[in-house]
Amino acid sequence: MQLLLLIGLPIILILILGFALSNFMDGESPEIQAKIAIIEHNSEMEQFDQFIHEMNKETGFNKRNIASMEKSLPIQTLKSLFHSKKLAKMIEVKETSVSKKDEILNDNTYTAVIEVPEDFTYKYLFHIMLNDGEIPQLRVIGNEQQQIGVDVIQSIIENFQQQLTLGAFIKKNGINEQALVIPDSLFTNTRTTIDQNKAVTSKDYYTVGMAVMNALFIASTIGTIAFKEKQTFVFNRIILANMSRWIYFSGVLFSTVIFASIQLLVIYGFAWFVFDVTWSNLFAFFIITVSLSIAISGIAVLLTAISYQIRSETITNFFSSAIVSIMALIGGSFFPIGDSSEFVRVIGNFTPNGAGMSAYLSILRGNALTDVITPILYLCFFGVTMIIIAALTFPKRREMV
Amino acid sequence: MLELVNISKKFKQNYAVRNLNMFIERGEIVGLLGPNGAGKSTAISIMSSLVEPTQGDIYFNNHRILKKPKPLRKITGIVPQEIALYIDLTAEENLQFFGRIYQLKGAKLKERVNDVLQIIGLTDRRKEVVKKFSGGMKRRLNIGVALLHEPELIIMDEPTVGIDAQSRNYILETVKRLNKEKNVTVLYTSHYMEEVEYLCDRIYIMDKGNLIASGTKEEIRRILSGEKTIVIKANRLTELFINELKTHPLINSINVEEKQITIMVAKEVNMFADLIKLAEKASLELSSVNIKTPTLEDVFLHLTGRALRD
Repeated sequence: MQLLLLIGLPIILILILGFALSNFMDGESPEIQAKIAIIEHNSEMEQFDQFIHEMNKETGFNKRNIASMEKSLPIQTLKSLFHSKKLAKMIEVKETSVSKKDEILNDNTYTAVIEVPEDFTYKYLFHIMLNDGEIPQLRVIGNEQQQIGVDVIQSIIENFQQQLTLGAFIKKNGINEQALVIPDSLFTNTRTTIDQNKAVTSKDYYTVGMAVMNALFIASTIGTIAFKEKQTFVFNRIILANMSRWIYFSGVLFSTVIFASIQLLVIYGFAWFVFDVTWSNLFAFFIITVSLSIAISGIAVLLTAISYQIRSETITNFFSSAIVSIMALIGGSFFPIGDSSEFVRVIGNFTPNGAGMSAYLSILRGNALTDVITPILYLCFFGVTMIIIAALTFPKRREMV
Repeated sequence: MLELVNISKKFKQNYAVRNLNMFIERGEIVGLLGPNGAGKSTAISIMSSLVEPTQGDIYFNNHRILKKPKPLRKITGIVPQEIALYIDLTAEENLQFFGRIYQLKGAKLKERVNDVLQIIGLTDRRKEVVKKFSGGMKRRLNIGVALLHEPELIIMDEPTVGIDAQSRNYILETVKRLNKEKNVTVLYTSHYMEEVEYLCDRIYIMDKGNLIASGTKEEIRRILSGEKTIVIKANRLTELFINELKTHPLINSINVEEKQITIMVAKEVNMFADLIKLAEKASLELSSVNIKTPTLEDVFLHLTGRALRD
C-alpha cells in the first residue's frame, strides 16, 4: 500500500502541477482579449503631404528620402503593428474620429483608447528632419476594469514611443538615414533560448520534479520499515539466526536502490505514455536513475542507522515531514527556484533531488551524458558518503537491544 | 548445557542485572520469574547472545561463548515477548521467510514449515495474513518461527501475555510436548506463577536485577516451610486496619489488594483472635479468613515484598 502510494502520489501531482502551471512553465502569455480605438485628430497622409510641401522649399532636402519616409510614417507603423499576426489575435483595433471620442470612452467594451494628438506626424517629421521642437507623445486612456489589457497596450505604446525617440536620435546624430525606417523586428518580441536544444515543457519539468521528490520518500519509508523491524524484534531474530548485521545493512541499502529505481522507472514510464515525456538518451537516463537511487539509499541507511542508535524513529519522521519538503523546495521540485537566485541554485544542486533534477532536465533538453557527469558523480559521492556515515553510526555488535 | 557466571549488565549508572549465576541442563524446563523491571529480559538477551554483559562469562557445553556466540545461536530458538512477525504476510510466508534466514532451503524448508504449522496448530490457517489472526494465533506463530531450525534450546520470554485461556493452554501443552518428545530444553519466563509451576522443573527468581532465589519447586516452597499464609477478605478495607496489620510484630509480610489482604506469619502463631480485635477496632466486617500452606506466589511475595504481577 505504502509503495503504491509512493508511485501514485507523484503521478497525481504531475497531473495537477503540469496542467495548472503549463502557461507559467511554457512561457506562454495568458490569453488576453483587448479592444482598442485609435483616434486621430487629423489625417497622417495630409500631415505628410504638408510636410513634404514645406520641405520642398528647403534647398538641402533630399527627395530620394520621400518614398522611405512614406513607408515608415509613425501612425501607419503603429497600426500595422496592431494588425500584425500575433497582436491581431489578441487586440481588436477600431480607427475612429475625434467626434466619437466621448462615446468610445463610455463604452466599457474598450480596453484602451490611443489618442493621436493634432499634427503628431507633422511634428515628428519636423523634429527629425529639422531638429526642431519636441517629439510628440501619444496618449493612452485605459479602462480600469481591464487592467491587464491596459498594461499590455501601455507597454506596446511605450515601446513604440521609445523607438520613435531612438530613431530621432540616430537621425539627429547622422548615423544613418535608414534609421528612420522603423524595422518590424523592433516590435516583434521573438523568444529564443540561449542554446538551441529542445525546450522543457511543464509536464517534463514536473515529471522530473515530482519523481525526484518522491524518491526521497522511499528513503524514509524504508527507514521506517527497518526501525519497525527492530521494534518488533524481527531484527534481533535475524541477528540470532547468525546473520551478520552487515547483511541486514546491505539489505536495507540494496532494497532502497531497487525500490527507488522501480519507483522512478514506473513514474517516468507512465509520464512517457501519458504526458509524452520522452528520453532521447536512454542510457544517460538509466545512469542518472541508478545514481539517484544510490544517493537515496545512502539516506535510507543513514536514517536507519541513526534511528537504531537513538532507538527512536523521530529522525525518520522529521526527514519525511520537514526535510523532504525543504529539499524539494530548494532542489526545484515545486518551481524553478534556482532561476531567482544563483545562491539557491547552487545549494539546490547540493541536494540529491536537485542534482538528479538538473541531470534529468539536461538530458531532456537533448544534452549528452558527458554534460551531466558532474551531477552524476555528485550523486554517487553523496550516496557513498551517507553509506560510510551510516556504517559508522550503525550500532556495534551486541549493542542492539 | 548453558551456564552464566557472575553476569552483570550496567546501563549508564544502573545495573539491570547484577552478579547473576544460572545454569540450564539439557532437557530441563527452567522458569525465570520476576516482576516488571526485575531484569529478566536483560538476562535473556545476555543468555541468547544479543547483549554483551558488562562483566561475567557464559559457558555453552563448557566452552566460553561470549566472544563467539555462533554455536549457541545455532541451537537456540528465541520467542520474544513482542510479536516478531511480518503481519502483512501469511503464516506460511512468515515461516518461509524466517526459514530462509535460518538457511533452510527447498524441500527441507517446505518440510519444516509444514511440521511447524502442525506443531502450532495453524495448518488450516497457513494462507491467512497474520494481521487477521487473534492474539493467541499470533503468539503461536511467534513460537513457531523459533522452532523452524529444530533448536535444542528455546528461550521464551512471556509467550502467553495477553491471550485467552484456550490459546494459553495450547502453548503450555506445546512446550511440554516439545520437551517430552523432542527433549528440547526450555527457559521460560512468565508473570503467571501457575504456568511456571505447571511447566518448570527448576525456578530462578529475580528482583531488581538480583537473583533472590533458585531451586526446584519444592526447594523454593521450603523457603516458607516454617510459615503459613492467611488470606483475609472484607467488603471494604480501611487505612486503620491495614496500618495495624503492617505494624503488627508477628506478621512477616503483607500484600494488600482491593478487598483482600494476604499476610504471612510463623506456623505456630495464632492470629485469629488478633485479627477479630483489629477488625472491630477499625469497624470492619470480615467476610472470610483462610489459612493455607504457602504457594510459590507466597514465596515470591515473601522474597520481593510484592506480587508477581505488580
